Amino acid sequence: MEKLFNIDLKKTSLLSKDDEINREKNLKLFLESGFSNKKDENWKFTDLNSIIKKNFKNISNDYNFNFEKNKIQLIDDFEHNSIILVNGSYKSNDTRFEEKGKIKIQSLKSVEEVKDNSNNNLYFLNKALSLGGFYLEIQENYKCKKPFIIYNYFTSNLDNKIINNSNKIKLNQNSELTLLEYNIDEKNKFIKNTFENIEIKDNSVLKSFFIQKTKSKGYFYKSVAGTQGYNSSYQNFILSSGLTFNKIDQNISLTKENSNCFILSGLCLGKNEHQEIKTQINHLAPNCKSYQKIKNVLESDSNGVYQGKIFVKDIAQKTDAYQLSKALILDDKSEFNAKPELEIYADDVKCSHGSTSGSIDADAIHYLMTRGIKLTEAKKLLITGFLNEVFVNIPEQKIKTFLEKTIKEQINGV
Amino acid sequence: MKSEELKNQEYKYGFTTEIENFKAPKGLSEETIKFISKIKKEPKWMLDWRLKAFNRLKALKEPNWQKPKYPNINYQDLYYYSAPKSMKDKPKSLDEVDPKLIETYNKLGIPLNEQKKLSGVAVDAVFDSVSVATTFKGELDKKGIIFCPISEAIQKYPELVKKYLGSVIPISDHYFATLNSAVFTDGSFVYIPPNTRCPMELSTYFRINASETGQFERTLIIADKGSYVSYLEGCTAPMRDENQLHAANVELVALDDAEIKYSTVQNWYPGDKDGVGGIYNFVTKRGACRGKNSKISWTQVETGSAITWKYPSCILQGDNSVGEFYSIAITNNHQKADTGTKMIHLGKNTKSKIISKGISAGKADNTYRGLVDIGTKALNSRNYTQCDSLLMGNKCGAHTIPYIKNKNSSSTVEHEATTSKINEDQLFYCNQRGLNQEEAVSLIVNGFCKEVLQQLPMEFAVEAQKLVSISLEGSVG
Repeated sequence: MEKLFNIDLKKTSLLSKDDEINREKNLKLFLESGFSNKKDENWKFTDLNSIIKKNFKNISNDYNFNFEKNKIQLIDDFEHNSIILVNGSYKSNDTRFEEKGKIKIQSLKSVEEVKDNSNNNLYFLNKALSLGGFYLEIQENYKCKKPFIIYNYFTSNLDNKIINNSNKIKLNQNSELTLLEYNIDEKNKFIKNTFENIEIKDNSVLKSFFIQKTKSKGYFYKSVAGTQGYNSSYQNFILSSGLTFNKIDQNISLTKENSNCFILSGLCLGKNEHQEIKTQINHLAPNCKSYQKIKNVLESDSNGVYQGKIFVKDIAQKTDAYQLSKALILDDKSEFNAKPELEIYADDVKCSHGSTSGSIDADAIHYLMTRGIKLTEAKKLLITGFLNEVFVNIPEQKIKTFLEKTIKEQINGV
Repeated sequence: MKSEELKNQEYKYGFTTEIENFKAPKGLSEETIKFISKIKKEPKWMLDWRLKAFNRLKALKEPNWQKPKYPNINYQDLYYYSAPKSMKDKPKSLDEVDPKLIETYNKLGIPLNEQKKLSGVAVDAVFDSVSVATTFKGELDKKGIIFCPISEAIQKYPELVKKYLGSVIPISDHYFATLNSAVFTDGSFVYIPPNTRCPMELSTYFRINASETGQFERTLIIADKGSYVSYLEGCTAPMRDENQLHAANVELVALDDAEIKYSTVQNWYPGDKDGVGGIYNFVTKRGACRGKNSKISWTQVETGSAITWKYPSCILQGDNSVGEFYSIAITNNHQKADTGTKMIHLGKNTKSKIISKGISAGKADNTYRGLVDIGTKALNSRNYTQCDSLLMGNKCGAHTIPYIKNKNSSSTVEHEATTSKINEDQLFYCNQRGLNQEEAVSLIVNGFCKEVLQQLPMEFAVEAQKLVSISLEGSVG
């Protein structure tokens, strides 16, 4: 049988002897148990081990690439700053709309450890093979004038390769940033394993979007660990339809009063696609708010998963936490699994969750058809309406228009 | 509300009857199993079945995914069989029963004597592990209903027992279910013949009496085609400092058009207010809706035990079958409950409904954990789940962990959960009308639980309502 892994630590641009020892140690830790399987509670609905084994062989971290900048088609729907990552590594940035000295962008070396306290096997793999990524810091009292787009470009020689990278985003006090993560790839089958840390200081606001340009054969995993300060806000929109496999694992801690966290997702899953959103929101201080709304449209042979957890510490009184997951199942071979979890230790709180899954309302279809709308059109209308609930929460009009356009293309592909 | 001022309601049923016990040798071994089997005068196939389970047990490990962790149980330090000695030769009628036992039951308010006709309840009372007396036999016999201790059924109706025992909870299921299969001592057996409606509520009262005795009950209820039965299970246990393990198995089988309603009020010793002592209630309850249009309904009021760990489940195999689960779990002081249900939809047009109410006070932890699994072939299935939690004070916890799986496009699953505290406005309103704080809380909590209490048969509803109030007495300052 062919080997599953063909990993060479020398390809990770070792910095020192210590670095090498460290990487070896982590690789050993990973290889001891390999990819997680169903027995791991965090992977209960996504058996990563069997998914990887079924689709990959001889996974290697050896990829040399020649990068041509004109390969990336920039978004021209609205003015923006940009950061370019190629195969996970930081390449260049363009901050022409912002004041000088307010923004720090640099390459993140893997030695600058990205912390993650989830006991996750992929973390060891990441530490063993990480090529770094980007570090983005916004100075105090600065509100970015234009959004930032992170162009995540993947070259065309990545079949059976694994990319490990790590990023860090820091917003100092009273700052504001809008971030769009935009994936572009060349239809290769590869694995990407990313660990990211986000730090949002007092009174700061981070809005972030995950979006995918075209259908991709890539297998993506991303873990985000975030902490929020007093009166801060984190607004996250997950709109990455089109990925063959994707799991986003977010662990956000509301450490100071009056902070809030929004996670919204609208996904349209096509044939053989599998996407999982896993969240853990830790309410560690009083008067915080969290709001999660996860919407999935599942077409043929697709698999949608939502695992959400709200944790409320005993001192976190007056917490307002809400979770809602809804799925439209359009095909009998599709599957939706949810585990909306509450763990609450404070009494004066308002916590609730809801989860529904089912097919398109037959009455609504009937109503539209009696008005002369064709069945396929009626379905599209209802799906658009279903996902629209997520978009109404996007404040920036130009971004909203752009995202709506992208998602419409995805629905039309039905 | 001042949670610091929580005080404890003394356990009302904390008395011990002194009856000489007849015990199996201490420890878990083949000898113990053979001893139990011998004393029960079991046929060979039953002993083989037990030994098969015991062999399987050796390969299993205790599960540890549950929320309430407990200290290690030394299985070699337990007695697996104890029966009141005076019961060695079974009494033929109530007059032959040890008067002390009768006295115990009277303290519990079991209508075993003169009231038996008035109450309309046939009681198969279990004192520790052996059934004491079965009333109303005649009336049930006339309809062909079998309601007897399972040890008797093994001898009298081996074909029925062989066919159904372990068919819902296989002996290889999980650690505690397998342990039960190996060492179960007694329990109830019910068979309702086709097209028969059981004329009364069947009821068993359990008591755990002897110290250091794990009680391993086994209940098997079979409702044949077109039949109906309502079964009540109520529990109280005397005060004790050592933790006592209770690992019962309950299996229900409903064939075509049959309906089983299973109600439980569990009020075992929860330990004192510092969390010392109390019963470990690790129970496996599972029902199979085998036939078309069958229905199984679980209702439970869980107020006792130091740790409650149970998931009464329904396997909806037959087309159009229905599963229901209504639960109230109240935890106070150091009590811990991890309870919920599993609804496995396999047949077409199957429906399930889950209503769970959790109330935590003191330093207690209350977890709802449930699974709704709609299979690929379970077309047009429907599930509705509602879990509400009520917290009193910030030293306690309320957790909801639902697992929801939907594998086809024509089925609908809905889940809702809320967590909150008692509304100050409601309390104020009640106070204004002259109710004191405790009465007001009791009223509001009873209202909170009403949906579930309504499901209980009359005999239980009153007791359960009182229990809900008593369990929370002193939890509001």
